[in-house]
Amino acid sequence: MTPRLRALAGGLVLLAALVAVALVDAGRRRPRSGPDHEAAVSLGLPDLVLSSAERWLRHPSQAEPGAAVSDLPGAPDVDPAGALIGPPRAVLRVGGVEPRRR
Amino acid sequence: MKRQLALIDFALGGLRRRLGKSLALTLGLAFVVALFGAALLLTDALRAEYARGTGGMPDLTVQRLVAGRPALIDVAVADELAALPAVRRVEPRVWGYYFFVALEANVTVVGATEARTLADGRLPAADGEVAVGASIADLLGLRVGDEIGIPVEGEVRFSDVVGVFGEDAAIRTADLIVATPPHARRLLGMPEGSATDLAIDLTTQDEAGVLTERIGALVPGARVLDARLLERTYELTFDTRGGLLALLLLPALAAFLLLAWERLTGLGPGERREIGVLKAVGWGTADVLAARMWESAIVATFGATLGAVLAYAYVFWLDAPGLLDALLGWSALRPPMRLVPAFDPVQGFALVAAVVIPFVAISVVPAWRAAMIDPDQALRGGE
Repeated sequence: MTPRLRALAGGLVLLAALVAVALVDAGRRRPRSGPDHEAAVSLGLPDLVLSSAERWLRHPSQAEPGAAVSDLPGAPDVDPAGALIGPPRAVLRVGGVEPRRR
Repeated sequence: MKRQLALIDFALGGLRRRLGKSLALTLGLAFVVALFGAALLLTDALRAEYARGTGGMPDLTVQRLVAGRPALIDVAVADELAALPAVRRVEPRVWGYYFFVALEANVTVVGATEARTLADGRLPAADGEVAVGASIADLLGLRVGDEIGIPVEGEVRFSDVVGVFGEDAAIRTADLIVATPPHARRLLGMPEGSATDLAIDLTTQDEAGVLTERIGALVPGARVLDARLLERTYELTFDTRGGLLALLLLPALAAFLLLAWERLTGLGPGERREIGVLKAVGWGTADVLAARMWESAIVATFGATLGAVLAYAYVFWLDAPGLLDALLGWSALRPPMRLVPAFDPVQGFALVAAVVIPFVAISVVPAWRAAMIDPDQALRGGE
């Protein structure tokens, strides 16, 4: 085997090792099923905490079918949460409450 | 076999002689595969994460619409619906939103009836107790045993924190404040005898369609949501967002393919002379073509594999900085992410079809053109 073919074989082994590392890592990342996850699922909430700035916030059931610009199932995201840059925070503060801790 | 090894060896020599071009193509391919792969991995992981929690959703959710907007529903309606055939259980649910100025975010207040233990504490069992999500606890510095005061109708109501959801469940609970239904009703300022919606469990999901019609006729202004419809909505939402992201990356793919075409078609005088010599010493057109194709195959193998590993590392080890923002938006109570890979082989084939196959395809024509060079003209320096 020539030095060039040996180098290619070495490169392929290195690639295989990188893929193996990713696969082993993927295998270790098992879905969580601890008490917190079970309790969270038992609440029956239909959504993930990914869209807390939607017009209907965390619940797609709160979409307003009668509104002028209604949310449709599967419609492209029309709300600002789909953008990289959000609106000025001051707009959101109106009507908000200040929690206290003690 | 020996012949192919010799051709691969020659192809490696060619790649080494044109090291700059080879590296540019390999890195370019890796970059494009990593971009598309990251979008696919992220979308698949989120879709799988959502699917893992749908088991707890009620089969049907009944809410009331007034003037086209969701309104509170009378708890007494639950008894009427419980009498319908195929209905196993009807539970009035109490939940709503609060905007916390300190967090600059909406939190979701939920009434829960089941007594469950958490890794840190438990779900509330008595009025005046709450369990909070990881992001709220983190941002407000709350621990089990603390008290949180929430202004309700001009008066601050303090609640004991009896549980904090862990980061493992953060993707569902980061923005939650869980209380008993009566306490949640007080925190939300909802009148007694009202609920946000009714959760219905059926004996069989197949009856959902029939029951939706019956409930619609029975309860004026009712809007009935099928759990399967909500699941479909979310699948479409993730598909749409992932698709839009992939669409944004198309110019990068086009630019790379253009670069590859330009690099592969531009045969320098050195390369022409090389091919001329090879053909003069007896190499056939098929041999030259095979050597050029091996060059492309080696670049494609290294570039695509490297790109796929980079995509994995970017999404699951670095939590996809930048891309996650584009996919999820700017929600202030973003949960700490620990996504679980859920690789869909179809998506893998789609990636290969979208990036790797076009790259290999555009390398065929230049390889064939190079192989067809007349040795006499090539050695004389002619076109």
